[in-house]
Amino acid sequence: MKMNKKKNEFAGTEAELTVMTRELDELHNDVGMPAMWEGVSNVIDSMRTADALGRDTSRRHFLLGASTALAGGAALLSVSVPSIAGAVTRKNSVSHAVTANVFPPKGLTGDLAVAAVAASLENLAVFAYTAGLGAASAGKLGTVPPAVATFATTARAQHTQHAQAWNAVLRANGKARVTITNPTLTPVVQSDFAKVTDVPGLANLALLLETIAAETYQAETSKLMSKAAIGLSASIEPVEMQHIAILYYVLGQYPGAQNAAGMPIAFSSTAKAV
Amino acid sequence: MNLDPRALSDLLEESQDLQADALRPTNDALDELVEASRSESGEDRESNIQFHQEHQSGLLSSFQGASLLGAAGGLTLVAVLASAASAASSKDVQVLQTAASIENLAVATYKTALTLPYIGGSTANPVVKKFAQVTMNQHAQHAAAFNSAARSLGGRAQTKPDPAFVPVVNKAVASLKGATDAQGTLGVVGLAIELENIAAETYVKNTVLVSKTSNRELFASIMGVEAQHVGVLLAVQALLVGGAPQLISLDPGTAAKLPAAAGSVGFPNAFYKTNSAAPAMQGAVK
Repeated sequence: MKMNKKKNEFAGTEAELTVMTRELDELHNDVGMPAMWEGVSNVIDSMRTADALGRDTSRRHFLLGASTALAGGAALLSVSVPSIAGAVTRKNSVSHAVTANVFPPKGLTGDLAVAAVAASLENLAVFAYTAGLGAASAGKLGTVPPAVATFATTARAQHTQHAQAWNAVLRANGKARVTITNPTLTPVVQSDFAKVTDVPGLANLALLLETIAAETYQAETSKLMSKAAIGLSASIEPVEMQHIAILYYVLGQYPGAQNAAGMPIAFSSTAKAV
Repeated sequence: MNLDPRALSDLLEESQDLQADALRPTNDALDELVEASRSESGEDRESNIQFHQEHQSGLLSSFQGASLLGAAGGLTLVAVLASAASAASSKDVQVLQTAASIENLAVATYKTALTLPYIGGSTANPVVKKFAQVTMNQHAQHAAAFNSAARSLGGRAQTKPDPAFVPVVNKAVASLKGATDAQGTLGVVGLAIELENIAAETYVKNTVLVSKTSNRELFASIMGVEAQHVGVLLAVQALLVGGAPQLISLDPGTAAKLPAAAGSVGFPNAFYKTNSAAPAMQGAVK
């Protein structure tokens, strides 16, 4: 990977920051992960009894329509760019994996349909960061600042955990895991990623994906039926928003929610929610 | 750092104008809330009393567990705050009033911080100053939105800061006397992280607690913004601790100079926690 390896620019500071990050990571593993799995367990328990299981959603209809319209794009998942599917399905593709032919899959309604969409968005983010890091390793993006590489690696790990959480919910309800990238957005991301030639380009693509994810979670938080599912969605949205803030900082823009003109806003939008 | 103060002022002014546009969906949601409250007539008294009892327990455990509040002599406050005065109010109203009280405290804290030379004065880092100004403005809008929602449900606006956290803020501000610019900035940033995180965690929790969809939408539209404040402040804190305040900059060339750890210090958890969330009725109007 063609990374900026200059150590002298930050003598003394890097070590302190590394310690801080390690402490935060330990805290995350001590507190954050058990809390997450407890939350997922609650979602599972709640959804087993909730009437939300049978609730149909307009989102499902929307996505069904979209998947029909984008049948060509869905086919790309398994033909032209197998790396997209492979990036996130390697471990889980043997059994119980959803294909992109119909999405969300038949039989998933209500909160479970939302879980499937959420997992597919997280998979797409994992793919994008994996592809970005791969391009950086191949020297295709020029010099990659160390902070950007750390950002991508850490954000990818968190998106992986988000996908795992939603898939745990699906599996616990006897449904197949969603291991594909979101069929609606995948062709768009593929197209955009093909145009990325530098770090700002990659950061802007990541910003788009993070914004879509955050806004989708924000919208779903008020549409989900199960309280535990609401809690899970609400625990993820702020993390995506933090990713967005740091991406803006890296891009030299105001590091917070903003409108298309770059003006800070106090209330985040749902305009880009899928 | 090369930000033009005049440009910042213009940006803030523009932001306020554009904020009116951004608030339209929130106002629409509030209008819907009014309609919904007319038809749904709120929760019954029994439900509200149960809510009160549950959150009285939550309040006690929160005080026992929170070191932040322990330092403020929280046990005395428990008796005051855990009174039954709010039991008959809608739980959504109490949750909204508590949220407004947190926002009021945040506004007051940033307002005070901006009077300090190293936050809002001539020696301030321009990015930190701008962040404090924008963030204070956003918290004021959040308070207005929460109070508007509470009033729409027949509740009173909460114009006071959260009583449980006021002594903590006062103590922190008092400790800044005699601090150097670097120490003072770090102290303010640390305090802001605490307050912003309490706000974010409280609102994440509130999305589950509230019963009205429009209230859930309101909390969902704000929780991520507060989490962003936390993320930015964590990054700023790390750079200050690391002795690199010059990297608190929006210069596009800054990213290349940032240490690796700066890329992840702003989002330490994959799932936002709620263990520091304020008890739901802590800031309710008595």
